Amino acid sequence: MSRFQTFAGSFRMSMTNFFADPQWIIPNIIAPFTFTAVALIFFRNVTGSVALYAVLGGGMMGMWGNTLYGAGFALAFDRWNGTLEYVMGTPSRLVWIVAGRSASNAVLGLLNALAIFAVAVFGFGAQLGLADPLRFFVALVLTLASLSALGVVFCSSFVLTRSAQIMTNGLEMPIYVITGSMFPIALLPFWTSPFSLALGPTWGIDAMRYAADPTYVGMGFGYAVDVAVVALTLVAYLAVGFVLFLAVENRARRDATLVEV
Amino acid sequence: MDAASRPAKASVVRDLRRTYKTTKGIFRKKRETVEAVRGISFDVDYGELFGLVGPNGAGKTTTIKMLTTLLTPTSGTATVLGYDVTRQVTELRRNIGIIFGGERGLYYRVSGRENLRYFADLYGVPMSVREKRIQGLLELVGLADRADERVESYSRGMKQRLHIAKGLVNDPKLVFMDEPTIGLDPEAARDCRRMIRDLIQKGKTVLLTTHYMFEADELCRRIGVIAHGQIVALDTPADLKRYVKDVTVIEVEALNAAEADLAALRKQPDVVAVNAEVVGERQIIRIQTPRGGEFIPEVTRILSRARIVDVRTKEPTLEDAYLKLVGAA
Repeated sequence: MSRFQTFAGSFRMSMTNFFADPQWIIPNIIAPFTFTAVALIFFRNVTGSVALYAVLGGGMMGMWGNTLYGAGFALAFDRWNGTLEYVMGTPSRLVWIVAGRSASNAVLGLLNALAIFAVAVFGFGAQLGLADPLRFFVALVLTLASLSALGVVFCSSFVLTRSAQIMTNGLEMPIYVITGSMFPIALLPFWTSPFSLALGPTWGIDAMRYAADPTYVGMGFGYAVDVAVVALTLVAYLAVGFVLFLAVENRARRDATLVEV
Repeated sequence: MDAASRPAKASVVRDLRRTYKTTKGIFRKKRETVEAVRGISFDVDYGELFGLVGPNGAGKTTTIKMLTTLLTPTSGTATVLGYDVTRQVTELRRNIGIIFGGERGLYYRVSGRENLRYFADLYGVPMSVREKRIQGLLELVGLADRADERVESYSRGMKQRLHIAKGLVNDPKLVFMDEPTIGLDPEAARDCRRMIRDLIQKGKTVLLTTHYMFEADELCRRIGVIAHGQIVALDTPADLKRYVKDVTVIEVEALNAAEADLAALRKQPDVVAVNAEVVGERQIIRIQTPRGGEFIPEVTRILSRARIVDVRTKEPTLEDAYLKLVGAA
């Protein structure tokens, strides 16, 4: 069984389904664009880091929204279609199916983020002043990969529940806030710090800001440490996701949680 | 797997059981254990079309789900093509096809061909043969000219044909079909039955569940009748009909037959079984009795409050045998 074939097939099916549904425009284009536009209009006379916060905030909203909904709906969508049992009945491991779908969402998230950057720069004339575009891009891609892997971890629990939609709705904003997407995590209550630091995207966003602005202080660890931690969380999330999926697949068969019987 | 090295039977099921834990109530939740399958045993031969029939909730679908590895049995053993359903899950899945009936189970927003392509990838069909096999399957089920249209534009019958193609995309040796003709119009159902017969001619083994006795009679070499999670009879259709060889069926076509009158009929010592179904405005009441036509006056007397349109006697069918077996269970 080719894991790559499973991964690639799931990636393609996810993309095809995504673009076949006209509703994709709302969470992926309109919501992040509106969010960024409002922030840029508020701070239209300010350049540099504030504009960057606004654009990164909108971009992260799109990326995280895509990833989380992708993970939650990756299997909820199959439940609705009645395809979950057929998918689970194939010899492919569920983790590679979900990884393919998550990767598809990550790519869509990246396109979403790039669109927001373009709108901010060309539509609103935002002065982002990216000091090191290459390092910025590396941090962006790693953050996106980390988000996708986080989506895989969440998705494993969504196999067991028919309430994935409630969980995705509940998780979207808290993660968005505690990763410091829109404002620094230093502004958040102290007790939220452990949650923030355990999330790869927190470090990824910090790294992006280091790459964009040489005067940025942020969490104080520097670009290299931030990038290393993001990479580490990426590996950790994937490992946890893999183990969870093995357990969850067996439990779903034992407890009959795929569909009503 | 060649004929020499393969196991003697396509499937061997021994004392298979499955229980579910369910909860009742919202605030004071009560946990209950439901026994969906209560120790069933049967064998399926290679190249056989084996049927499982039974009323809703009898345990047919749960049995199929255990044999296709979607559910773990609570106890008992089962092998399919020699693979254990609990320990050799991946190998087993690679060699079987799953076809459930009903509207769902397809990605509606994408084309039929894209659906098949995706499942071919999940089954690891080599890229070198994938497209050719998909085209062959689309031609087999008569969807080649509509293959690139979205599934949402397909009729119910076309969706079921796509289901069949999907279930064959990995060229399985054994195909599980759970009520494949449910909800189909007569023509589409006939097409579906023809395709099932073709599978047997191509050397596949098929395990089929159905509600329709005429379908089981027409297709299956052997039939297992399930009621309350247990197999109450297992035989060829001809031998199952012998369960009702001593009875005649009196078929009454009536309007407004009261449930109390039907209950009174059931209580008669010479009545083996009574089944009533509504067809249009009329009720078709089938009474099994060993007394034959001489029992007709008694029937019309008990149903005197109803308007009787027609009364005739018939030879018992597989459905009558089924009703007797399920009623007695």
